[in-house]
Amino acid sequence: MNTLPGGLTLAVPSKGRLEELTRKAFSSSRLTIARPGGARSYIGSIKNQPQVTVRFYPAAEIARELILGGVDIGVTGSDLIHEASENGEENVLFVRGLGFGEANVVVAVPDSWIDVQQMTDLADVASDFRSRHGRWLRVATKYVNLTRRHFAKYGIAEYRIVESAGSTESAPAAGSADLIVDITSTGSTLAANQLRVLEDGLIMQSEANLIVSRTADWTPLRKAQLEALLSIMGGVPPGISTLL
Amino acid sequence: MKTASERYAALVRLVESRTVTRANVPLLLPAGPYFDLAGEEFGRNLLLTTTNNGVEYCLRPDFTLPIAQQYLEDGLIGAPSAFTYLGPIFRQESSTPVEFEQAGLELLGQPDADNALDQVLTFARWALAIYDITAPNVRLGGVGLFEAFLEAADIPTAWRSRIRHRFGHPEAMARLMDRLANPEQKAEGPAPDSRDTVIEIVTDAMLSGGLSLIGSRTPEEIADRYLEKQALDAAPIAPETVMLLQNYLDVADSATMAFERIADLAKEAGFDFDEPLYQVRNHAAALQALSPNADVVFDASFSPRLDYYTGIVFEMTGSDGEVLASGGEYDRMLERLGADEPIKASGCALWVDRLEREASQ
Repeated sequence: MNTLPGGLTLAVPSKGRLEELTRKAFSSSRLTIARPGGARSYIGSIKNQPQVTVRFYPAAEIARELILGGVDIGVTGSDLIHEASENGEENVLFVRGLGFGEANVVVAVPDSWIDVQQMTDLADVASDFRSRHGRWLRVATKYVNLTRRHFAKYGIAEYRIVESAGSTESAPAAGSADLIVDITSTGSTLAANQLRVLEDGLIMQSEANLIVSRTADWTPLRKAQLEALLSIMGGVPPGISTLL
Repeated sequence: MKTASERYAALVRLVESRTVTRANVPLLLPAGPYFDLAGEEFGRNLLLTTTNNGVEYCLRPDFTLPIAQQYLEDGLIGAPSAFTYLGPIFRQESSTPVEFEQAGLELLGQPDADNALDQVLTFARWALAIYDITAPNVRLGGVGLFEAFLEAADIPTAWRSRIRHRFGHPEAMARLMDRLANPEQKAEGPAPDSRDTVIEIVTDAMLSGGLSLIGSRTPEEIADRYLEKQALDAAPIAPETVMLLQNYLDVADSATMAFERIADLAKEAGFDFDEPLYQVRNHAAALQALSPNADVVFDASFSPRLDYYTGIVFEMTGSDGEVLASGGEYDRMLERLGADEPIKASGCALWVDRLEREASQ
């Protein structure tokens, strides 16, 4: 679609609360997103904005498409951009937060680890874990890149990541990992699983963002169309397209 | 004037010289051993591929590990061996796949470790000479020397391992030194609980959290570290010792000057450090004799970020600061791979593409 002389592709989360709140955010700016085929259709449009094609994707896929330039604008969590690729944030432009989907990516250990309050404690534990237990310290997470970067920052190299697609918080009790890196909004799921966030265990604060791809093919016409759309959205200073 | 292919041919002759065995290492290797040996930090650079049943393989990211593994599998422990290699390796940098040509030498189980390291340095020197690099910048580091210094400086054992584990990681080390220099002021609290009480508290917490008492960290382990932490906070390292350590880590100078400085530091602190310095001095001198034009620097805080390095480590850089050759002694590697005890090992890796770039400039 980028080979067309003009036209923009907007990626919107395809399901759940994230879809609902995204559509609400757009409609509050008089940009009503239509999804004619309902939840089973993956293409849509915006009323009175024929130049915009709406595509519905899972949130993680929106992050990947923005980084690769497969879509021009998208709504997804900033955590997913940082997670999708090691240098993901260089390939996109965060236009603005949308005030929903807030969550923190955190490092949490079993509450019973009373000797571990900070990342430096974790570094100590990791460093002799293997000689004590004959295996690496295991961290369950779906945030592989974020975890690696955060642990590297604290000089922790002696661990393995156990990739976990869902209910990461149960990994320590299930015995598949020793600690976790996960997303939390209120902390109640962690508390229910007797996990505690380290004092300096906040890896990043995330919220749903309006994001523009830097790697998409930005012709002058498409830049102008982007500016026009963003000005309708509001809350964005003009001239964003000059940064592309 | 030599051409690139003549230089490469000369390098092939070097790795196929009569005293060494050129190792044959597959391009596709199981990824597990790399993660086991080097952890996630190195694992993020692997180019992975997965079989249908979920077993991960990687494109060969280095030669050292498979060569060492083969040495163990062939039951060669105790037999002095000299392996060389030359071929492509694959990694990813910032999510981009990169192919490099790498050459190198691995000396395993050599009876005379000092002699082995000098051979490694000579090999690197010859390889650089093929590419007309006669005055590289050489940086030496001493892992063994640092361990000896910690011991000689009389640092409490519990702190010693904490400090040792951060060696080679400047940021983490700086944070730790900062913490040592400004110990937390603990308010007067109640007398510490007895070990049994702490174990009991931890056990209760683990059980109520549904954790296995033996699968991961045990209650005893957690209690011991908790009490140790309290004890360490109560008895911080003396400020002058922290200062001494910081001064040691700050040493980075031409080798002769650096060793003088370290000897002076030790003398001021009242202990004799000539013996540990002796070996490092000799290797630095041998290196300088090999390449009279090289700029040999000893950097007390320099170490690769892998805990199997033991003695002396080095890297040689070219005109644009890129590493051309690096290596050292890693007696703990074969032990990590399953040998019963540390086995003398030293070696180096050469970045052939960078050597060629340097030569054709």
